[in-house]
Amino acid sequence: MMKITVNNRTLEVSGERTLLEELRDAGCDIPSLCYAGKAKHEASCMVCMVRDVATSQMLPSCSTFPTEGMQLDTESEDVKNMRRMSLELLLSDHRADCEAPCVVVCPAKIDVARVILHYDRGQMDKAKAVLRETASADQLPCVGCKASCEKACRRGTLDTAVSVRAIIEEVAKYKAEIPNTASSAAKVQHSFSSKLGRYSEAEKEWLKEVYNQPSRCLHCACEGKDKCKLREYASQAGIKSSRYGVSSHQMVKEQQHVSGRLYYEPAKCVRCGLCVYNSRNGFTFQHRGFDMQVLIPEENKAHIDEHLADLCPTGALFLRQD
Amino acid sequence: MKDMTGCNCDCLSGGQEAMTRRTDAIIDRTGTTRDKLIPLLQAIQQEFSYLPSDALNRLYERTEIDRAQLISVSTFYSQFRLAPYGKHIIKVCIGTACHVKGADAVYDAFKRELGLAADSITTADQQYSIERVACLGCCALAPVVQIDDKIFGHVQPGRVREVLDEFESLAASRAQEKEEEQSKDVQGEVRLGMENCCQASGTAEVHEAVVQACRELGINIRIKPISCVGACNQVPLIDVATPDGNIVRYPNIKPDEVKEILLHHFRPASRLRRLRNAILNHIDTFHTDQTWDNILFTPEKERTQSINTFLGGQYRISTEGYGHLNPLDIDEYISMGGFEALRKALTTMSREQIVDEVLKSGIRGRGGGGFPTGRKWQMVSRGDSKEKYVICNGDEGDPGAFMDRILLESYPLRVIEGMIIAGRATGATEGIFYIRAEYPQAVIRIRKALDMCRQKHLLGQHILDSDFSFDIQVFEGAGAFVCGEETALIASIEGKRGFPHLRPPYPAQSGLFGKPTLINNVETLSQISYIIRHGAEQYTKIGTEGSRGTKVFALAGKINHGGLIEVPMGTTLRQIVEEIGGGVEGGESLKAVQTGGPSGGCIPAELCDAEVDFDALNKMGAIMGSGGLVVLSESSCMVDVARYFLNFTSEESCGKCTFCRVGIRRMLDILDRLSTGQGKMEDIDRLEELALSIKRAALCGLGKTAPNPVLSTLRYFRHEYEEHVQGICRTGSCKQMVKLLITDDCVGCTKCARSCPNEAIAYTPYQKHIIDTSLCTQCGLCIDECDYHAIKKVKK
Repeated sequence: MMKITVNNRTLEVSGERTLLEELRDAGCDIPSLCYAGKAKHEASCMVCMVRDVATSQMLPSCSTFPTEGMQLDTESEDVKNMRRMSLELLLSDHRADCEAPCVVVCPAKIDVARVILHYDRGQMDKAKAVLRETASADQLPCVGCKASCEKACRRGTLDTAVSVRAIIEEVAKYKAEIPNTASSAAKVQHSFSSKLGRYSEAEKEWLKEVYNQPSRCLHCACEGKDKCKLREYASQAGIKSSRYGVSSHQMVKEQQHVSGRLYYEPAKCVRCGLCVYNSRNGFTFQHRGFDMQVLIPEENKAHIDEHLADLCPTGALFLRQD
Repeated sequence: MKDMTGCNCDCLSGGQEAMTRRTDAIIDRTGTTRDKLIPLLQAIQQEFSYLPSDALNRLYERTEIDRAQLISVSTFYSQFRLAPYGKHIIKVCIGTACHVKGADAVYDAFKRELGLAADSITTADQQYSIERVACLGCCALAPVVQIDDKIFGHVQPGRVREVLDEFESLAASRAQEKEEEQSKDVQGEVRLGMENCCQASGTAEVHEAVVQACRELGINIRIKPISCVGACNQVPLIDVATPDGNIVRYPNIKPDEVKEILLHHFRPASRLRRLRNAILNHIDTFHTDQTWDNILFTPEKERTQSINTFLGGQYRISTEGYGHLNPLDIDEYISMGGFEALRKALTTMSREQIVDEVLKSGIRGRGGGGFPTGRKWQMVSRGDSKEKYVICNGDEGDPGAFMDRILLESYPLRVIEGMIIAGRATGATEGIFYIRAEYPQAVIRIRKALDMCRQKHLLGQHILDSDFSFDIQVFEGAGAFVCGEETALIASIEGKRGFPHLRPPYPAQSGLFGKPTLINNVETLSQISYIIRHGAEQYTKIGTEGSRGTKVFALAGKINHGGLIEVPMGTTLRQIVEEIGGGVEGGESLKAVQTGGPSGGCIPAELCDAEVDFDALNKMGAIMGSGGLVVLSESSCMVDVARYFLNFTSEESCGKCTFCRVGIRRMLDILDRLSTGQGKMEDIDRLEELALSIKRAALCGLGKTAPNPVLSTLRYFRHEYEEHVQGICRTGSCKQMVKLLITDDCVGCTKCARSCPNEAIAYTPYQKHIIDTSLCTQCGLCIDECDYHAIKKVKK
């Protein structure tokens, strides 16, 4: 056993567990993205860092082992600022919307994105169920609304906006017996919402080609937003937007089918490598430096299991819901 | 020249079957385990000139290597390419020294000359491919270009056609057979430096001229290739040694001067030949229209004076024997006391005593950090493992540094001796030379030197009949700066991406394949034999309190006499620049000295009186690094220098941790804005904030030191950053902030119009010429051509 000092409090530790494990057990609240319990990992995100008081260096607690007499600081403004910076740097290379703009602006709080998602898949009863969560069957709030959803619609920057109100109306008229399941399990509200900025011309052309469902909706909302740790920590850190702007080489919304229900969207990846280290001849790194990407070669897709979505700290790897 | 498809092999004619057969042969001789991936890829690329997918598929079939590993590794290292290149590869060096001397313009000029579009790198006829390389290590000859194995120095943008012509004529003449005369009755000796930089400046041609002249004159002299004399700015250079013991040095020699020099020192065989030569020389003179007076005889002293100054004031440990030692003559090395230290270590000293001696000497690692070498040795020595490794880190990737290359090429035996002693002291079983891919000559020399040592029983089982067995192999790096970091270096030997990992555990505890591993820099190891032979006490007399011994520096940039120097620690930068380097080039004033490459900083002229040692440099915000010293003059823009280094580190970052991968990129974004005149004042603060944070939070030493070039220039030259925000770049280095303008000094000679590759200057004889700035790429050719200094860079 050895003694370390954490925020002026003495702690007795074995020396065999990492700082992150020891500190979390001792009640310290430390965020981390690239660490996922027993899964194989390598320190990379630096979100879990703590300050070594003696040297003022920041240590990734997920991979650092305690040494006798070590003095640590896990909660000062300095540490929080540094963690915030690492999150902002990651966000500056994260080209994605957390929420669909149409949902954000809807005065009636209709989950427009999910309604249209089901609509596009021909699941009218499900679409209607979602609509029911916020709108009564008798009176549609859209009547008389100024349709900010259609003004905010990203499709409008490509050609013309999705006819959101017409679709809602169609769904509302759809005759189906929707059981009154008060399904609304209280959703976690995040104060941070990532915004991807403008589409490039190449992206516009590509999006027009790929998103050609009946509604023409681009499905901006992130399908992994509910499990996304990046968003959770950004909200906790009080980040509104990255002070470094957003610029990335990644094509927006380029979703690749991996296997089963598992999909991969590179533009949301934070390059932590959890999926690389925890798949055998599956995901791999490509290139280096800022150009480094996580890649799934076509031939390797067969080696991939759906559970990898749980390891991914963002919405880059997600399971498509029915 | 049998096909024009770019692939210089018969893979097309032989088809897939032949490719499989040849790949199989490579696998058979290299191995099938995962750690063999890099040597396998290197061998495949050497065989086929690129990595053909059929060959890679064969690797999946026959080895443990899978697709994920192969993609991950082959795209990490810059050496590997997946598309065939042209027949000849033009490598344009963009190292620091070349950068400050205009390497970008040279690169553009080659692309223009070869008619390459912006995004293409291979000519349509598949004859040439062009690429930028980090540093060829010939900084004193900047800007440098390598075509295949031939190196060209001082390449000017306006002269690229000449370079290509010379290369082509050389390639043709190489086909002719060369013969060398051997004779027992030797009249004297001619010594030539045959290092990369010497070859770059035409030593090979001088060598041929010497051979030919001897034949014509009928004189018998020994032609001896020697190690680097360090005077890289004065090459080609020959030393003529006559039997009476006189040595006369001729710097900056041209092939056509050789004959006359030899004639001056040696008597031709017969009277008749003498006469014939006298006549022929006359004819030569008439025909070549050369005035021989200015080249030879009279100003002999003047000619050698400057170079002797350059070589004085130095103290040689690592480079002992400079100028007369044949790098690959093991008997000569032994006769100079070589391997005495090894014998002493093996016969009269215990392992602990060796470690103790190194500890007492106070030597600190020459690779950058300055960690006490003895402490490392002690840790590995105490490690409890049957297998231990000693690795010589020759992955010298700093642009602007070439010390390790020259030590490996010129003094391979001294480095090997240090390594064997290190092996003995630590109880290691195996040694590995890690040498970067850009130094093929060093790899060849080290391999040859290792063979010699094996023959002399200095390597292998029971070395010198002791109980110590040890052998050394060579591992070639594949092009990644980050592999200079020891944990990344180990990862690459293990066949992985060069990702550093968090220390502890240190390599001394758990290194290569999990075994205790000693990693020392080339220069550190080259100092070991001195310490053991002369004792730690003698060694501590050299240098300063905290930094013992000597330091080898690569002096380059805007300096009169660039080259390799070795000075005692504690010499001041001003002494190095003024006394050894002969001052700033072109009579400009000294602005700063950049030390330590991309991890180091810029020390302003007013601090150049500080004594150079590890601690003093750290205090000034720079680092010793591996020892590159790039001299910057008043015409160097500090924002441009900072941007240059950040651009380098952002390309070389491994990409593992957030602060290095994204943080450095964001710093570069800001510097890009500043150098194009789009920066704001708050950008400077944001830049500083990022730099300070990366320094504290990046995962490895390279990331932590990457902001140093920015931090040191912000500390000493903040006003230049502020000027850039106001749209002013005084030196005109930031192209987008200036334009070229022809002043009233123009006499209308039309030279500029004729030199412009983009037709941006209209041909208007006897009138003042005008530059169309929309067409001008600011290559600077017109400025070089104008005899009236009528073209200026002015604020846009």
